[in-house]
Amino acid sequence: MSESAYGAGRPGLGGEAVAQQIMRVGLLPLLLFLSVAFMAVFEQKFFGLNNLFNVLRSTSFLAIVAAGQMLVLIVAGFDLSVGAVIALTSTVMAKSMAALGVMFPEQNAIIIPLGVLCGLGCGLFIGLINGLCVAYLRVSPFMVTLGTLSIATGLALLLTQGIPVYGMPDGFVTDFGRALWFGLPTTVYIALVIILLVWFVQTRTRLGRYLYAVGGNLQAAIVSGVPARRNVILAYVLCSMLASTAAVLMTARLGSGQASMGGNSMMLQSIAAAVIAGVSLRGGVGRVELVALGALFLSILTNAMNLLRVDSKMQVVILGIVLVAAAALEELARRRRGHV
Amino acid sequence: MSDVSGREVGRITPTAALVKAMLPIALVALLILFSAAESRVLSLGNLSNILNQASYLAIFASAQMLVIITRGFDLSLGTCVSAVSVTAALVMTGSLATEEANALAIVGGVAMGLTVGVLCGLFNGIVVAIFRVNPFVATLGSLNICMGVATMASDGRPVFNVPREFSNIVYSGELFGIPAPILIAAIALIVLHFILAHTVFGRGLFLIGANPRAAEVAGLPARRYVTQAYVLCSIMAAVGALMLTGRTGSGEPNLGGNLTLESIAAAVIGGVSLRGGVGGASSVVLGALFVTVLSNGMNLTRIDGNVQMIVLGGVIILAVFLDRFRSATR
Amino acid sequence: MRGVSKAFPGVKALDNVDFELRPGEVHVLFGENGAGKSTLINIIAGTFAQDSGEYRLMGAPVRGLTPHRARVEGVSPVFQEFSLVPEMTVEANLFLGREIARGGVLDRGAMKSRAAKIIADLGFDLEPGRKVADLSRAHQQMTEIAKALMGEVKVLILDEPTASLTEREASRLFELVAELKASGVGIIYVSHRMAEIRQLADRITVLRDGKLVKTVEAEGVGESELVELMTGRKIDLLFPHVDHKPAERLLEVQGLTLEDGGVLGVDFYARAGEITGIAGLVGCGKSELIRAIYGLEAIESGEIIVAGDAYEEPDPAASLDRGLCYFPSDRVAEGLALDRPIRENVSISALALDRFAKLAVIRRLGERKIVREIVDQLALRPPNIERAVGNLSGGNRQKVMLARGLTRETRIFLFDEPTVGIDVGAKVEVYELMRRLVAEGAAIVLVSSELPEVMNLSNRLYVMHRGRMVAELTGDEIEEQTVLASFFREDEAGENAA
Repeated sequence: MSESAYGAGRPGLGGEAVAQQIMRVGLLPLLLFLSVAFMAVFEQKFFGLNNLFNVLRSTSFLAIVAAGQMLVLIVAGFDLSVGAVIALTSTVMAKSMAALGVMFPEQNAIIIPLGVLCGLGCGLFIGLINGLCVAYLRVSPFMVTLGTLSIATGLALLLTQGIPVYGMPDGFVTDFGRALWFGLPTTVYIALVIILLVWFVQTRTRLGRYLYAVGGNLQAAIVSGVPARRNVILAYVLCSMLASTAAVLMTARLGSGQASMGGNSMMLQSIAAAVIAGVSLRGGVGRVELVALGALFLSILTNAMNLLRVDSKMQVVILGIVLVAAAALEELARRRRGHV
Repeated sequence: MSDVSGREVGRITPTAALVKAMLPIALVALLILFSAAESRVLSLGNLSNILNQASYLAIFASAQMLVIITRGFDLSLGTCVSAVSVTAALVMTGSLATEEANALAIVGGVAMGLTVGVLCGLFNGIVVAIFRVNPFVATLGSLNICMGVATMASDGRPVFNVPREFSNIVYSGELFGIPAPILIAAIALIVLHFILAHTVFGRGLFLIGANPRAAEVAGLPARRYVTQAYVLCSIMAAVGALMLTGRTGSGEPNLGGNLTLESIAAAVIGGVSLRGGVGGASSVVLGALFVTVLSNGMNLTRIDGNVQMIVLGGVIILAVFLDRFRSATR
Repeated sequence: MRGVSKAFPGVKALDNVDFELRPGEVHVLFGENGAGKSTLINIIAGTFAQDSGEYRLMGAPVRGLTPHRARVEGVSPVFQEFSLVPEMTVEANLFLGREIARGGVLDRGAMKSRAAKIIADLGFDLEPGRKVADLSRAHQQMTEIAKALMGEVKVLILDEPTASLTEREASRLFELVAELKASGVGIIYVSHRMAEIRQLADRITVLRDGKLVKTVEAEGVGESELVELMTGRKIDLLFPHVDHKPAERLLEVQGLTLEDGGVLGVDFYARAGEITGIAGLVGCGKSELIRAIYGLEAIESGEIIVAGDAYEEPDPAASLDRGLCYFPSDRVAEGLALDRPIRENVSISALALDRFAKLAVIRRLGERKIVREIVDQLALRPPNIERAVGNLSGGNRQKVMLARGLTRETRIFLFDEPTVGIDVGAKVEVYELMRRLVAEGAAIVLVSSELPEVMNLSNRLYVMHRGRMVAELTGDEIEEQTVLASFFREDEAGENAA
């Protein structure tokens, strides 16, 4: 039998672990505070109502997608296809609403729910392919989602030939997508509800525990009777459905279905938001409230760079550096904690 | 002492032989299928065209294979190609480029391109091997950085007026009747084969991929080798980028486009295992040929570009299946 | 169980074994590492199925058993490899797979109070809210035991459960075993420790090389008889007579402490021409000690002296250059690239030498010739060096590892559990090789959990406990009683101090 790497009782470890924990949780709020303070000094335009709404909206979109990405990362997976799912959902929903609009003129009560369902169906479909391939055929999640990324993007482009799809009911756009409820954009409420729901699932339900268990120690989970495959599939389906939901909101806001929506930058940002929030790429670790903060941080960063007229190409570079730095820090912290 | 199974490395069982022969068979089947739909597919001109196109992909797939053997990945390959193309073109069209000193400009451009490649590879290698960041995230980061560099340097527009002499050498040049791209790719693949099969470094890459922990315990300089693998990967990508620049005659900030995806697909289809430790020059040649024939055939039969994208996605997933199947029979 | 067999690629792990467990008995499984004990308990626990033979549980034949179904049926295993999720709390681990929930929503209050009650009943000092990754190995062990006792248990499997417990915790466990036994639970107990076996066992089944040797009543069986049953031969036939001729100190360590505290202030030395043994329980730091010398663990303080010269910041390549070679216990994880041929696995450590490569280009003919010579010398069967290592048996894999040490000039051999998972025949060959190496003037450091092995081969035997050297025994002092006594003497001292 091989010996384990655990020391028998390491003195002072408890205190160090607590300090580490504070550091990990505390880093994000600190960064957020610093960036807001920075803007307060250098660019007051940041605090304009319209600008704040913009930041909140983009945070909401990103937080929903990143929450889904996090679920997949927790089961030690990966989803490259979220951006493509957004594009596909957007075009399918707009197309079907336009078609339904011809069939049932002015019947918004039929057009909108059916159209949204069609959009969400795309998420369900792609999520199922991803989940089934990963869980049953144990194919690398990276390759599977790379494949579905290509498939979903191709489908979206095929449907639209790259041209924006108009013809959604006006009410959908003006009364929902661009509307304010009690002074805040509708998206913000929906994002909050979703984050709360995911938080509830993570902390208060059996499903949440099973997701952590499957990613944290697959063998232990199986031995303990956790239906691992079903939970992996569920994680991928939830991830794609959340991406679809974000797509519905983004499309309603924009007023047209576009195959260019989402794309690689959304996929990239969702992974970045999760990694910044301490979600481990090895699985088993991740909390949605931190991921939401990560999304907020990235949105503020992007917005601030826009206001400060940082070249949009430079922004891409900065995002890349932030991502690598966050991952390197996580790795460092993990190694400091010792062999786990 | 009991040795239950009689399997050996190199000895071929019937199923393994079948799996091995699957790709060449599929390649031929694909050609026959397309030629039935469109007779031009099998014309001599088109075949040499296929070979010509495949040489670019073979180079990118070999680059990708080097890091996949070490259980790595290079997502930045595509944007690195863009960055190399743009920077090299800028030097070639810049102040050095006068009527009489075009040769100097070309040499400078090539040097610039290779330098950008080395830098990109060094970044990836150090972040992966020394900071031990997941290669996926590390190269996702450098993907962004290279993309930024490429668009910033060129302002998002193609850099025109790359000296015609450059294109004359790397694109339309010929030696003993062999077009330059095929020649360059052949040389690159032979060098690659030699490195993998005959050098300590190549041996090390396979051992690291097969069992990284054991390689370190056995005293191999694993971190250095992995870093070098990423550098070599980016250098090969830079060579490919320069060839492409010669073909288009301009530095293109979007040159990389789908290259990352295609290079991974070609390598995996050719039989390079994502679990590391498996690969070879012949694998990437076959993989590159397959992908090229597929897209060439679809182009000639006028299949919509977007449908082609969907087909490629399906082929990738299929290839990973085959990879699992292969490792089960090996 | 009747006539149960199981084969893995390269080994026949169980061959026609009968085993029976009655309600309310403690049945000890006894045998060397690799004798088939773990295969047997894994079949019982449903980890994998037998190839042939019959398995009946509570009288009913069992088919298609999974670990989960086994647990539902009341078979609870506690393996040495824990089935815990490190990033989750103790409580969440206890209830994993059987959460108290209504419609998928957890009843956290109910689980909290039940977890507290169970831990209190067991008398373990465990905090249910702490993350398992932050616990010591002993506490993880307690969590694992508590988890096994969560449901209705009919058969409890304990695989060396005391290996990381203190004596007080262990005696609490023994009380628990007695209680469970009284309530009719059948207990399969795997252990090497004679004192425990004497105290607990009702019956003892001895396995050797995957075969059933004998099932005996515990009453009236002597220790020497058991050891003889286990090894299959008189002790002096299994272990060669090693002619120790201690010469200069080739390796010396002073005040070595590791960053993670696994080794604390250790002094020891190894001389040319003798085998220096290090004994100790799992997790005592004996393996970490030689790993640190070779350069695989982070050192905080202390000195390593190799052949008279200070050796700072060890790393594997530098160790090899200084004539040190380490043979890891986990040959699959750390030793061998299973998909690669024997030739590459043997020459891996020597590729920097001129004999193997010139200007970084491998001399393939030379490589093949040298590797073949070494492989022939070690009687590797079959001698085809192009075969993938993954196809070899445990004994042959170990020979491939040993061959690695012979590709270059190695004077100090660090063996970490060299005979784990290999059969008796191969063991004798490994011991014989050690004897030859020592006769040629090499220094061997032998780390092993197999007490008869270290006791019979070592000229001097160190004992480690909880990261410290607690004894150095020579000559006649090397006997089981003294060794075991030194484990526990330190425990008591440690507990009084704490």
